[in-house]
Amino acid sequence: MSIFEYNGSALVAMVGKNCFAIASDRRLGVQLQTIATDFQRIYKIHEKLFIGLSGLATDAQTLYQRLVFRHKLYQLREERYMKPETFASLVSAILYEKKRACKRFCVVAGTASESLYGACEAMFKPDMEAEELFETISQALLSSVDRDCLSGWGGHVYVVTPTEVTERILKGRMD
Amino acid sequence: MFGGATLLLYVTGMKFDTSGLESHGLLIGTNNELLSGLSTAPSFDIPSTTDFDGFQKEAIQMVKPAKGTTTLAFIFKEGVMVAADSRASMGGYISSQSVKKIIEINPYMLGTMAGGAADCQFWHRNLGIKCRLHELANKRRISVTGASKLLANILYNYRGMGLSVGTMIAGWDETGPGLYYVDSEGGRLKGMRFSVGSGSPYAYGVLDNGYRYDMSVEEAAELARRSIYHATFRDGASGGVASVYYVGPNGWKKLSGDDVAELHYNYYPVEQTVVEQVMAET
Repeated sequence: MSIFEYNGSALVAMVGKNCFAIASDRRLGVQLQTIATDFQRIYKIHEKLFIGLSGLATDAQTLYQRLVFRHKLYQLREERYMKPETFASLVSAILYEKKRACKRFCVVAGTASESLYGACEAMFKPDMEAEELFETISQALLSSVDRDCLSGWGGHVYVVTPTEVTERILKGRMD
Repeated sequence: MFGGATLLLYVTGMKFDTSGLESHGLLIGTNNELLSGLSTAPSFDIPSTTDFDGFQKEAIQMVKPAKGTTTLAFIFKEGVMVAADSRASMGGYISSQSVKKIIEINPYMLGTMAGGAADCQFWHRNLGIKCRLHELANKRRISVTGASKLLANILYNYRGMGLSVGTMIAGWDETGPGLYYVDSEGGRLKGMRFSVGSGSPYAYGVLDNGYRYDMSVEEAAELARRSIYHATFRDGASGGVASVYYVGPNGWKKLSGDDVAELHYNYYPVEQTVVEQVMAET
């Protein structure tokens, strides 16, 4: 197993009509053994900016701490929040990757990513309202992690609209 | 010396491996007609490689599927309890959640599957055939000891060729309940409690803690079910449905097949906390 499959993870994000949703599984494992069933993969940078980090958990946590640090400095200097596009450039720069110019409607990551791609392709429609978006992203996440040994054990969904952020825990298969 | 060797060839009629006699062949150069029936080449083909043992080990590791499963069986006062999960995994991918891992060899004997599904299914079916032939030839049922020995001998013959089988043979014969563990390395162990597969450490924890010889059938079934459930919770390669079978004096009977997701919420119901935490914008 590769190092990306060491801890196991599943992440999906979707854009709807004036809202977005980001969801992750809750398992932290060491290869096949499950260590925790309440592991957080989605972090809030500010009220309108969330980041989900898949892959090796220790690297994800370190990267998150670095990003929060950079964002806090930015806030102090600029006296405002970072825009999502700017933040994406920051993440890219930190990860030494080529900057992705295109904005996407549906993004997936993790050990269950292939299943997630399929589920998103099948279920996604553009311009969904917040409730429908929540249902769609939850179904896509749960059905994909049920085909992956290394992710699952519940789900964590954030739905963000201009006025509120809703956080929900999904009841999933615990095997 | 050579006269004696030739006599041996006549008597046994086997191909005689003479690699040990090579040095003698070199000394007696002219008497080649005596050696014409005895070959000095190895008696089987081996791959042309510098490190044959390492090559063989690597070849086996390549085809060896991990025993991603949880199966268990134990003997108690009333008979034998056998339980297993139903997940088949290929690396990280779940290929099936509904695999029958408890194989019905005949109406009074069960086998469990761990390792290669094809290997287990084929050899258990083969064992069933041999048991039936034994019954017809000897006018009585084969014992669990005999059946497990038949399987162990077959698997030993294929040792090192890449079979992956970790099975338990459970049954009830004239001597009472019987339980044997047999694997593709050629091992065969008699015992009272076994668990096989990647989830077995978790199952053992629950099984060893709750086991008593004097349990009723219901208590034993619940212990088996709980052990499988806990293994599916912690082990990524186990899951699906926890099947429980009981083997008694009248043969085996399937007691239950519960989806482990439902078992989880039965054992640990979700408390109704605050439905949503809504963070309102100021």
